[in-house]
Amino acid sequence: MKIHYYPGCTLKQKTTALDISTREAMKRLDIELVEPEGWSCCGAEYPLTEEKIAGLAAPIRVLRQVRDEGGDVLVTTCSFCFAVLKRADKAIKDDPLKHKRINAYLRDDIQINPLTKERTTGFEDYNGEVKVLHLLEFLRDRVGYLKIRERLKRDLKGLAVAPYYGCRVLRPQKEMAVDEPDSPRLFEEFLQAVGCAAVDYPFKQECCGSYLSVSLPAAATEASYRVLRSARMNGAKAVAVTCPLCFYNMDHRQDAIKETFLDFTGLPVVFFTQLLAWALGVEKSMLGLGEHRVPADSLFSEAPATEVRT
Amino acid sequence: MTAKTENKEKRIGLFVCHCGVNIAGVVDVEKVAQVLTDSPGVTFSTDYVYMCSDPGQQMIIDTIKEKHLDGIVVAACSPTLHEKTFREAARLAGLNPYQIEIANIREQDSWVHTDKEKATKKAVKIVKSHVAKARQNENLDPIRVDVTRRALVIGGGVSGLQAALDIADQGCEVVLVERSPSIGGKMIQLSETFPTLDCSQCILTPKMVEVSRHPRIKLLTCHEVDSISGFVGNFKVRIKKKPRYVDETLCNLCAECEKVCPQVVPDEFNMGLSFRKAIYMPFPQAIPGTYTLDAEHCLGLNPVRCGKCKDVCDKKAIDYDMKEKIVEEEVGAVVVATGYDLYTMQALGEYGGEKYEDVVNGLEFERILSASGPTGGVMRRPSDGKVPKSIVFVQCSGSRDTEKHLPYCSKICCMYTAKHAMMYRHRVPDGQATVFYIDVRTGGKSFDEFYMRAVEEDKVLYIRGKVSKIFKEGDKLIVWGVDTLTGKKVEVEADMVVLAMAIVKADGVQNLVKKLKISTDIHGFLAEAHPKLRPVESLNAGFYLAGCAHGPKDIPETVAQASAAAAKVGDLFAQKELLHEPTIVPVNDELCSGCGICVTMCPYAARTLDPARGVVVVKEILCEGCGACAAACPSGAAQQRNQTDDQIFSMLRAMLRE
Amino acid sequence: MFEPQIMCFLCKWCTSSAADLAGTSRFHYAPNNINMRVMCSSRVDPQHILYAFKEGADGVFLGGCHPGDCHYVEGNYKTLRRITLFKTMLKDLGIDPKRLRLEWISSAEGKKYAETMDEFTEQIRALGPLHLNEKALVQEVVKDE
Repeated sequence: MKIHYYPGCTLKQKTTALDISTREAMKRLDIELVEPEGWSCCGAEYPLTEEKIAGLAAPIRVLRQVRDEGGDVLVTTCSFCFAVLKRADKAIKDDPLKHKRINAYLRDDIQINPLTKERTTGFEDYNGEVKVLHLLEFLRDRVGYLKIRERLKRDLKGLAVAPYYGCRVLRPQKEMAVDEPDSPRLFEEFLQAVGCAAVDYPFKQECCGSYLSVSLPAAATEASYRVLRSARMNGAKAVAVTCPLCFYNMDHRQDAIKETFLDFTGLPVVFFTQLLAWALGVEKSMLGLGEHRVPADSLFSEAPATEVRT
Repeated sequence: MTAKTENKEKRIGLFVCHCGVNIAGVVDVEKVAQVLTDSPGVTFSTDYVYMCSDPGQQMIIDTIKEKHLDGIVVAACSPTLHEKTFREAARLAGLNPYQIEIANIREQDSWVHTDKEKATKKAVKIVKSHVAKARQNENLDPIRVDVTRRALVIGGGVSGLQAALDIADQGCEVVLVERSPSIGGKMIQLSETFPTLDCSQCILTPKMVEVSRHPRIKLLTCHEVDSISGFVGNFKVRIKKKPRYVDETLCNLCAECEKVCPQVVPDEFNMGLSFRKAIYMPFPQAIPGTYTLDAEHCLGLNPVRCGKCKDVCDKKAIDYDMKEKIVEEEVGAVVVATGYDLYTMQALGEYGGEKYEDVVNGLEFERILSASGPTGGVMRRPSDGKVPKSIVFVQCSGSRDTEKHLPYCSKICCMYTAKHAMMYRHRVPDGQATVFYIDVRTGGKSFDEFYMRAVEEDKVLYIRGKVSKIFKEGDKLIVWGVDTLTGKKVEVEADMVVLAMAIVKADGVQNLVKKLKISTDIHGFLAEAHPKLRPVESLNAGFYLAGCAHGPKDIPETVAQASAAAAKVGDLFAQKELLHEPTIVPVNDELCSGCGICVTMCPYAARTLDPARGVVVVKEILCEGCGACAAACPSGAAQQRNQTDDQIFSMLRAMLRE
Repeated sequence: MFEPQIMCFLCKWCTSSAADLAGTSRFHYAPNNINMRVMCSSRVDPQHILYAFKEGADGVFLGGCHPGDCHYVEGNYKTLRRITLFKTMLKDLGIDPKRLRLEWISSAEGKKYAETMDEFTEQIRALGPLHLNEKALVQEVVKDE
């Protein structure tokens, strides 16, 4: 199966672990990931006011490229990218004014091939032809947990993992339409499918601090601490995330957390794709574990040291 | 019944009213009367100042007699005002009331136009059209049907009990059907009731006993309505009797069976907070006073796997071979009093769904408060039996939420939350009661004083703000809310949380309304005929509504509505016979091809296809005369009485031809 | 100036009441319409409408209750379906479908009724006379006239 895949900027720079582990895992499932030609940054944040239409041009351009390459589905793992792409696509479909104006912007688009210097122009309007899927959705609906189970090479022995949804994947419910925001099952079912035990804890969707990390680090430190503490209190051995910013706040900031909150002793944070890849038999060296500040190696060892949480 | 007029020309009298200057000021009424004098069918034509006055009416009566008129056209104000008046005048003169036509030349002519010439021309056309119609009008008699003076009440809660008692006290028989083993509904589960703090069971059980002893009330518990046919005044109901496996006339409540039963089941009367046996009595004051065997949880009846209860029953009241039976009753009216349920906590994932034992709903808290409840009235929390030192009460859980849950207000929660908080504070004087609210709605009699008592005397803390999240941390429940009056976020550590869950339609009511063919609103509450002026009847004749089945309401309102429904039933039963408007749409057998299109058009299921004869048959008492079928009939077999297609064409010719 | 003739079929419970309310409130409008009161808008058969055109109506108006409010539960939905289909037929018959108007007017909307009458009158005036009775090829023989 060939599927269009949008990594997003951060996955190519700061958190290549998420990108590499995704690719390796998909290889084991016989899925070839194809990046749309010349893709650009998605904008990272969906415009917060009605008038800020320019912010939709970039994500729509990505989707248009996917369509023009013959794709009708775009898969992504970064929560921010997922939210922007999906909501932009919906905005085009629901609001005729936005549809008109964004396509007017994009009609002037000229793409220059960096190698051949060939100029392409005269693109057709984008009308919402591409379906945007989070990788978790894709795995559940298009691949199927059964197929994943068949391909498992390692037994994770019910490793207690706390799924962290963050703020972007499930809300706003009407636009994202992924799962029931107050009692979701998507991430939990994925963890069970790869052989982990999903930990139920009340902070699975509470804010990690997001980009207050830059402007108000103390707030981000406290927010991430609360998530990690709740996960730990409920028996988690690790927290699984699906967003580079969540990863940054909860992994990179753990030193700051330990300094401020003395009762916190640390908890490894991993990407869900790393668990998937490991379970499917990918070598440890291909998981991108070097990017972690909090060592997560212990989770990915062949030694039967994992505990089971009931 | 119609009397066909012979094929001779009608003798129509035309009376054009001046209505003072209301009509005559714009329309030349004398000219109108004069122009119509020579019209075919018009025997007599005149104008008069005020047709609705006594002399005006007398003129009609006298002229009918003198000129042997067999049709009347009164050109005056809107028929909504005086059609009845002139029909009555005609009747007094010995003329069939349905031979009267009212031509509206005031509201729809003289009052809305200024050009006198054009208004007069229009008046002539209007009058001509009614003359054309009058020439083909037939004598009609109202359709008469007998009334069976017995009522069916569906639901044995306080609304059903009240309605049944009131109807029975009027002297009519009542069949009261309740699907569970005992009457009492939700009210019998309550501990105290606002605003008096009466013991709920103490005030309801006398009514329950009265119902069981009333000579004119047939009490059928463990019964469910299976199907209903017929029409107002003449319903046939099939009621399914579910086997109780215990003969209620023999059981003496010795309770030996309960002692030996090995099966332990969550007790639904105590909202699952305690257990009962498979053979059980729902609550001590249950009526009928008998044990019931819950076949679903019994080890097995076919074949018998246990049999211990039967062995110890001295009275031989237990019979494993009881079967479902159908009981047939004939009634003239149906009161639907099926009550309510509470919105499921599963829908509120942000409050933990149903995960946390110590997050309970209002009915569970009532059982904890109740002296006959799982804790004997001692305030304990479900998870570990600890006495809670801090309880948070969350109002509007699921109500007033247009985004995800229910948009309406559940009406009773503000009052019962105040009551719960007060009751808690009385029992745990050093406990902290906190209520999160959006508004506090206490509109009933003595209601606001009650709420003030909670705040001022019992020191219940009221915080205006919604609760965003409830979760467990260790031994405590953490409640995240906001105090909108200070603008600050609030985090409360509580031992227990009581959610005022929204009132929703009763489980299974969808199936029932399909059988009864009555309508509900989008939330599943029964639809009243008019929201202000007809609140206890359904649009479907013969069906009446009472209690929370119609919408969230408290006990005083429920009782009032139940009595009102009983009064309406009394109205129906007071008729010697039912009179129904005869302007219905019958079927001309000779023209009917049996295509059945009209059958599908009828919203009242008044038409059926007779397979034997291959034509459609109309139940006249059900036909409301809308005419939808008449318009759809391809062969013209369906014609509306006194507005046939021929009459419509005659009117169009009269109105439009120059 | 051409004065159009507009035939109006009004449902008793809603639009006819609205017309009465327009009268009670003295909202004036053009005298070009003439009303027939029916119990429900669903009583009106397309053949009644065609007959009206044939007998000299330049425009036909149908007034019923708002969806959900029909006194007879769902009559207005039936009317809506019928008229939608019928308008396509009118086109095929050579009658401009704009000459037929279906409007939901509740018994409280007296002003709306008056305004709609004026608006429709002007629309039909602009379309001009239909003269269908002159174009009719078959002369109808009516016995009693």
